[in-house]
Amino acid sequence: MQISQFEALLARVNKPARYIDGEWNAVHKDWEAARVRLALLYPDVYEVGMSHLGLQILYHVVNSHPDYLAERCYAPWTDMEAELRRAGAPLTSLESRRPLSDFDVIGITLPYELTYTNALNMLDLAGIPPRAADRTDDHPLVIGGGPGAANPEPMADFFDAILVGEGEEALLEILEASHGGRAEALARLAAIPGVYVPSRYQYSPAGAGPVGAVTPVNGAQCPITRRYVADLDAAPFPTRQLVPYLDTVHSRVTLEIMRGCARGCRFCQAGAFYRPRRERKLDTLLRQAEEAVAATGFDEISLLAFTSVDHSQIEELVTGLTRRLGARGVGVALPSLRADAFSVAIANQIRQVRKSGLTFAPEAGTDRLRAVLRKQMSEEELFAAADAAFSSGWFRLKLYFMIGLPTETEEDVEAIADLVQRLLAFGRGALGPRRGRLQISVSVAGFVPKPHTPFQWMGQDETEALAEKQRLLQQTLRARAVKLSWTDPAVSALEAAISRGDRRLGAVIHRAWQLGAKFDSWGEHFQFALWEQAFSECGLRLSDYANQDLPLDAALAWDHIACGLGKSALRAEAERALGRGEA
Amino acid sequence: MAQFVCRYRKGDELRWISHLDVKRTLERALRRAGLPLALTQGHNPHPKLSFGPPLPLGATSDVELFALHVTEAMDADQVKQRLNEQLPAGLQVTEVWSLPAYRKKETFGNIDLAGYEVALTDSIGREDLQRRVDQLLASPQLIVHRGGERPERTVDLRPLIHRLEVVEGDDGLVLRMRLRTGSHGGARPQEVIALLGLDEHEHVKRYHRTELSTRPSEDRRPGAARGKRWRRQRR
Repeated sequence: MQISQFEALLARVNKPARYIDGEWNAVHKDWEAARVRLALLYPDVYEVGMSHLGLQILYHVVNSHPDYLAERCYAPWTDMEAELRRAGAPLTSLESRRPLSDFDVIGITLPYELTYTNALNMLDLAGIPPRAADRTDDHPLVIGGGPGAANPEPMADFFDAILVGEGEEALLEILEASHGGRAEALARLAAIPGVYVPSRYQYSPAGAGPVGAVTPVNGAQCPITRRYVADLDAAPFPTRQLVPYLDTVHSRVTLEIMRGCARGCRFCQAGAFYRPRRERKLDTLLRQAEEAVAATGFDEISLLAFTSVDHSQIEELVTGLTRRLGARGVGVALPSLRADAFSVAIANQIRQVRKSGLTFAPEAGTDRLRAVLRKQMSEEELFAAADAAFSSGWFRLKLYFMIGLPTETEEDVEAIADLVQRLLAFGRGALGPRRGRLQISVSVAGFVPKPHTPFQWMGQDETEALAEKQRLLQQTLRARAVKLSWTDPAVSALEAAISRGDRRLGAVIHRAWQLGAKFDSWGEHFQFALWEQAFSECGLRLSDYANQDLPLDAALAWDHIACGLGKSALRAEAERALGRGEA
Repeated sequence: MAQFVCRYRKGDELRWISHLDVKRTLERALRRAGLPLALTQGHNPHPKLSFGPPLPLGATSDVELFALHVTEAMDADQVKQRLNEQLPAGLQVTEVWSLPAYRKKETFGNIDLAGYEVALTDSIGREDLQRRVDQLLASPQLIVHRGGERPERTVDLRPLIHRLEVVEGDDGLVLRMRLRTGSHGGARPQEVIALLGLDEHEHVKRYHRTELSTRPSEDRRPGAARGKRWRRQRR
């Protein structure tokens, strides 16, 4: 596209800085000198995609290699999409502003289910047929990855290959294999451990819902075993992180201190997909932090981990970082805390946290239900954490809960309200004359069963039941100091259906996209009616995927993906959870 | 403690980033440059910076201004060089000068004139344009409605337009304008384009700011500026 033509589009859209190039630390490599050119796509708007560390790691790994080149592309917002379609202009990369169809490989990360229609839409905007079967030797290879690969089946129709596991571990092998004709390239890709080439497998459904087996057609690898970085400390980490012009979701240095989690909460898919728990060493982290601050000029550094205080040297790390960076006005942020006094003590060292308050995730209202979840947090610990927080000057707490959990009763839901009320009373007492500033934010989401977790078999509550539980909480939590927010039960239902989807859902996602579904995770764009129509036109029922309890002994649509615990271990965990409610 | 004022240009590459984006970008570049920035006190310290009047989104400029405080003595050329090494294409510091120690924090509050050159496409002829300009300048009042502001209000733009002329540029017609700007009320170049009956997308190639300055004191209403400043301090 002519540059001036693109400039004319920029004049007509909101936040044109989403589409310009040249952020500090962006890489511009010689197009002609690169042997394989990769476009990295994030299926959400710039401000969200720029805050995603995974894509930056891959961008860094590929561009550090002399033979390869990586450029980026984020989902254009609806106004830009309309302008592109009106002008008949294809979607381009940020760096060289070349059409995506000029690249050899399109890599799309699948962060969560509600971005899937955006992935199709971006391919379509690039003039690339979304369905793999419709693509020819003239089109780039389309390769997926990210957490969505834990169950690749709903997106299997749209990808030539999907990497199961951590991208930095296998991406260079994938690029090395991505040359020549489509058929030869796919044959080479299918031989790489952890790479799933959907066209070499077939699905035999054994009833309604995701029950059935995916089997290799002619000797393709099975199971497909998740790839992961063995030594996180030595793994490549980008310290020259991209510095956006726009205010993005997280405009700061992200320092990944740990990957994986050993806590074993039974609902948590990330815990399974990022096993085992790995750490970076203190010295490595202090060096990377210094380098990243010097290379970006950000005024905040965030310590990324599922639970940052689980890092074995977290005290030394926080002390070291605040001592080195504090005088320069650089703050440290801990986005994930445990609910205990130790976490609060760590957080106390960090001035920056004071702005936002402290966040804890009790997940459930009673100790009994937390035991079913294997969530290692007692009410006693929560109150001890709150006590420590209030006595060291915090006024705001944020609490995350789920409703619709396995074995949950009405009492468990009422207990959420009761717990919040008691924390409120406790906080008022602890804060004394300053109690007017007390605020407790309560965020309630519907439970979504996820593949490769012990809860994968357990159906989600019907939408109406979730809504009823929500109403119960809304009626009982009416204090001025309580701010209640919740996820739309219809959103949770769709998330559950796609999360536990099989290959047949590809047609539903494709149809929903054709009907206009996109940016489904954005409240203003989510249209459940489009999805209901798509399911019904494809002759499938959403409830078979979202709400059905699956038989423990049946083959499941994602059993060919080996990640985390084996199926018999998951089954044993599920039985322990349901049978006795003990850990 | 020393205070510097920097003049910088915003080029084509970054004309689509907002004034807020520019602030963030400069702040980060200053930190990368390792200048000994003076920080504000409090829980969330940040560099003491102040900025001249915001540039409209989509415009380029040669005359933008900001001021910074450093904790150690430095010379102005050093500030300029170290900062420019850390600025992305599209932002460049062209001039740096230090302010004497007795000067309070520079806030650019006295800047009240901005000059623009608006390059036009060839979809309008010179005579037609000149006729529209003459007609506009002959109007005693130019009332516009600003719906985007809260509270919504109407403004008479005529006294805020100090100069408006058509010149022949290297690459087509250029409207040269000098408009009032600043916290006491100003006109935007886009508003003048609309008043001329022109369409931004069809007729305008580029807005470029060429001047930021202060009116001679005899032009100002006595006491007006001082009154405003006093109120701002009280808040």
